[in-house]
Amino acid sequence: MDFLNNLLPHLLNGLALGLLFALIALGFTLIVSVMEIINLAHGSLFALGAYVAMVIINPGFTDSGALGSYYMSLPLGLRYVIALVFAPIVIAIVGFGLEIILRRTYGKKKEYGLLLTFGAALVLEEIIRLIWGPAEQFLPTPDAISGAFIAHGMIYSTYRVYAMCFGIFAIIMVWLFLEKTPYGAIIKAGAHDSEMVRALGINLPRLQMLVFGFGAALAGIAGIILTPIWGLRPHVGIDATIPAFLIIVLGGIGSFKGAVTGGILVGLAVGLTGAYASDWSLLSMYLLLIAVLTFRSRGLFGKKTALEA
Amino acid sequence: MLTSPRGAPLVNVQMLIFFAVLLSYPLWASSAGLYQYLGVEIAIFVIYALGFNLLLGYTGLPSFGHGAFLGVGAYAYGLWQSAFPNVFAGLLIAIVCAGLSAGIVALFLSHRRGIYFALMTIAFGQIFWFLSIKLRWITGGEDGLLNILRPEIDFRFTSINLSSNVSLFYLVAILLIAVILILWRVVHSPFGTALQAIRMNETRARFAGHRVWLIKWSVFTLSGAIAGLAGGLLCITQESAYPDVMSLHASGFVVMMTLIGGGFVSFWGPVVGAIVFILARDVIGAWTETWLLWYGLLFMAVMIVEPEGVVGVWRRIEARLKGKTAGVAPVSAAKREAV
Amino acid sequence: MSRGLLRIALSASTLALAIGIQGSIATAQEKPIVIGITSDASGQYANSGASDRRGMMMAIDEFNAKGGVLGRPIKTVHLDTETTPAIGSRVAERLINREGAGYLIGAVSSGVANAISQVAQKYGVIYLNTNSSSPTESGKNCHRVKFVWDGNGTNFAKATVKAAIDKFGKNWLLITNDYGWGHDTSAATKKLAEAAGAKILDNILVPVGTRDFSSILLKVQQIKPDVIAAAVGGDDQKAMRTQIAELGLGDKYAWINNQQDWPDVYGLPRDNLFGVFGTTWYYDLDLPDVKEFVEKYRKAYPDTQMEVPGNVFYNGYWATRSLLEAIERAGSTDSHAVIKELEKLKVPAKERMQHDDAYMNPNTHQMQQTIYLATANPENPDNQNAMFKIIGYISPEKAKDEDADAACKLESFADTPVTNP
Repeated sequence: MDFLNNLLPHLLNGLALGLLFALIALGFTLIVSVMEIINLAHGSLFALGAYVAMVIINPGFTDSGALGSYYMSLPLGLRYVIALVFAPIVIAIVGFGLEIILRRTYGKKKEYGLLLTFGAALVLEEIIRLIWGPAEQFLPTPDAISGAFIAHGMIYSTYRVYAMCFGIFAIIMVWLFLEKTPYGAIIKAGAHDSEMVRALGINLPRLQMLVFGFGAALAGIAGIILTPIWGLRPHVGIDATIPAFLIIVLGGIGSFKGAVTGGILVGLAVGLTGAYASDWSLLSMYLLLIAVLTFRSRGLFGKKTALEA
Repeated sequence: MLTSPRGAPLVNVQMLIFFAVLLSYPLWASSAGLYQYLGVEIAIFVIYALGFNLLLGYTGLPSFGHGAFLGVGAYAYGLWQSAFPNVFAGLLIAIVCAGLSAGIVALFLSHRRGIYFALMTIAFGQIFWFLSIKLRWITGGEDGLLNILRPEIDFRFTSINLSSNVSLFYLVAILLIAVILILWRVVHSPFGTALQAIRMNETRARFAGHRVWLIKWSVFTLSGAIAGLAGGLLCITQESAYPDVMSLHASGFVVMMTLIGGGFVSFWGPVVGAIVFILARDVIGAWTETWLLWYGLLFMAVMIVEPEGVVGVWRRIEARLKGKTAGVAPVSAAKREAV
Repeated sequence: MSRGLLRIALSASTLALAIGIQGSIATAQEKPIVIGITSDASGQYANSGASDRRGMMMAIDEFNAKGGVLGRPIKTVHLDTETTPAIGSRVAERLINREGAGYLIGAVSSGVANAISQVAQKYGVIYLNTNSSSPTESGKNCHRVKFVWDGNGTNFAKATVKAAIDKFGKNWLLITNDYGWGHDTSAATKKLAEAAGAKILDNILVPVGTRDFSSILLKVQQIKPDVIAAAVGGDDQKAMRTQIAELGLGDKYAWINNQQDWPDVYGLPRDNLFGVFGTTWYYDLDLPDVKEFVEKYRKAYPDTQMEVPGNVFYNGYWATRSLLEAIERAGSTDSHAVIKELEKLKVPAKERMQHDDAYMNPNTHQMQQTIYLATANPENPDNQNAMFKIIGYISPEKAKDEDADAACKLESFADTPVTNP
């Protein structure tokens, strides 16, 4: 019983982490399912989202004029919400731009897209470094969601609970969007059969651009939620891209529930190894991947896609 | 096609020009604003990239974890050297260890291709990187394996001290020449043809009778072994071995340099690519701390505009010049090779 | 073919001419002394690296204002070592071979310092390890050309450990950054603590680059130690402090943080600065000349985020100044002569702005100095400079790393190449 008692906080911690991983993987899996592009720049968009949010919360022009000082006098909570709404929009626009650049590679082999997004990831990271410097930054969070609370004699971080709830909320929202709205139906149709969608009169290039932007926005949101835990620096993107990539392959490319399941599994693996050997917890992710792929070559819920060609 | 269907000569004009430039480097390096150590680095990375291109350019298998084998080679050399200081034995051990690691990893990968292949290489690359940092008592962890002194090579009639960057350069240059000659034979052999067949269409290659799994396994292992040689040489040069070369970033560098050079269309692509990369890092890196930004943009531009890289551009220029002189519209050889 | 060849030949010869011209432009003045600055501008220790560099530059500017050293102006070249040993090695090679650096200065990460000092020793170039505090820097990784200017893990542990056991208890937990410095520092702490009767319950390893300390902090709460000794540095430490403060764990246990670098805590909220820690200097020490020094800093660097200098700046400044003074005393740049001068270095307390005279240990090449003990300043919460409260100090003799002399085997002068830049 004592063993379980000791394990329980780590289990919960792992579950929370897993939901956050699933949040990261959401935008990634959308782009993969619909456009069959592995967007290695996902992590950089993740980081950029957080940086843009930081700027929205604390813009530099605070001393200039009435508007500036009015804005800064608004409570942090309000500015945080504004950032949470507007930063993803900025990232979506960046996503549009990236998609347009990627168009040249559509007819060619899939590796080209992969390589191009790898280059884009590097370029975005360096641009971030150029603008904000390599030093660690700080994304302010409102007091309401910061701090700690005590449960069963252990102190937990309030923010992690908030982040976890947000993750659940986002997953449900995206799921509802895909399953219950006509736009979601169009997107899923586009994933299934792009020719047919075009034949039905839908503007396929515009659809693809919007989907990519949506995926990018989700990456940005994940960045805003996660960087208070992971720290904000230019290379934090890699900490997001690799798990995202790993999770969707683990869960199965093209499967939404695969992404969520995969995320939770990875989070649990990392959280549990964190209990016994925290220095090995990162390795557990890769071992899990190799184990799953060796026995189920398409991941847990994967479907056959053009990505295998 | 990267190679001609008929057998190719053992050595050709381009090779001889390259060898001449390579071997004369110490004479003109400083007047070009370069220095000896840089030449050693370039030669090592050319070896690394040439081996890597067997996998990427010839067989079409994108490996994002190749740094692992460079690292294994470096550590293997370093560990051996601390016990038995002998350069050639050490390099041989480096090649064998790296080849062995590559062979084991390839067991998991050889039935894959495309995106799944790439992801698995990332996963394995990360595992090696993680282990090299974690197993401190073997590898020295984050701080690396230090104090691997440059030894003397003892021939019976003379001995060469590798402490001098010039002697080290010649050692690396000679090994580079050997690698070039060997790889040239490899890619012009039936094995090389099979590699390219796999790149173009794996299923068709299988139906044509090629033993695809075995060929993929072999090229991965060979490529890893060559990376191991480069790693051992790197360890001699730095007098230490570090985990950094195994990181995703560093593994990505060799992908980028090979492609920018024109690895998809030419044997010489990786050579050009490695030279451009190291020079860019050194020259541009001295002016600005964001040299990687410009290099990344260059890479993106290459992927969008000219996936055949520098060699592709060179060939277009060549064809255009030939076309002008001949007075007829040129049938661009480069175009026909579009991937 | 001939036209193409002609074009190529033309461009090649133009290029060669251009390079040749550039290479041969020689200055007709006194040949400057080139100092290679190897501070981190990115990575875990970027902030400290910047501070380190400013310290060096202030000393260099002071000398250049007097006409340089031995009448020769001092030129600096800085390359970012990115807190990565492999890059440190490459940077050192380039600085020595391409930029003609006669001296290399700068380190915060001991991994990088080791890589650089290997290269420096090979060429015989003097290298100043300004701020890396791993005990091995002046122990098994010492070199004839390397001099260490920071206190190391053992010095700080000697200042903090015994007092902590007496005050807080015998059940200790170690938290260690998983690389050389972390391990060596924790080992030093463990040795001293066990010698004084403490019991080490566990040693939790923190990989470099860790930001999410949640599982570690959960473990800490499950283990319930009396004292926690953390050897975590740079940005990792900033993240750790922030998360500990957020959970309110800073007051729940007695935290000992070995050495606390000023750039790692400047600007953090005061309650992030829990626990006891060591340092080599503080801007508000009640000693003569300290205020003037701080003023000099302010005048030289009015725009930096840190309004007052800390230990990292201080060490960078003193290392550089001592080197330049040693060159002047030696009367030449012959490296062996300068090394010998540095080996007998003594700086009186007043000049050093510390409580005790400082001196170089010729056997280990580490500068012996006063070690201060501090905690967070409970007063003045709005003054972001007044962060520390100095609660005590020990003399260099009391702080001495007893094992270093035996562990350090300096290369002989015969085995060290002479340079005369």
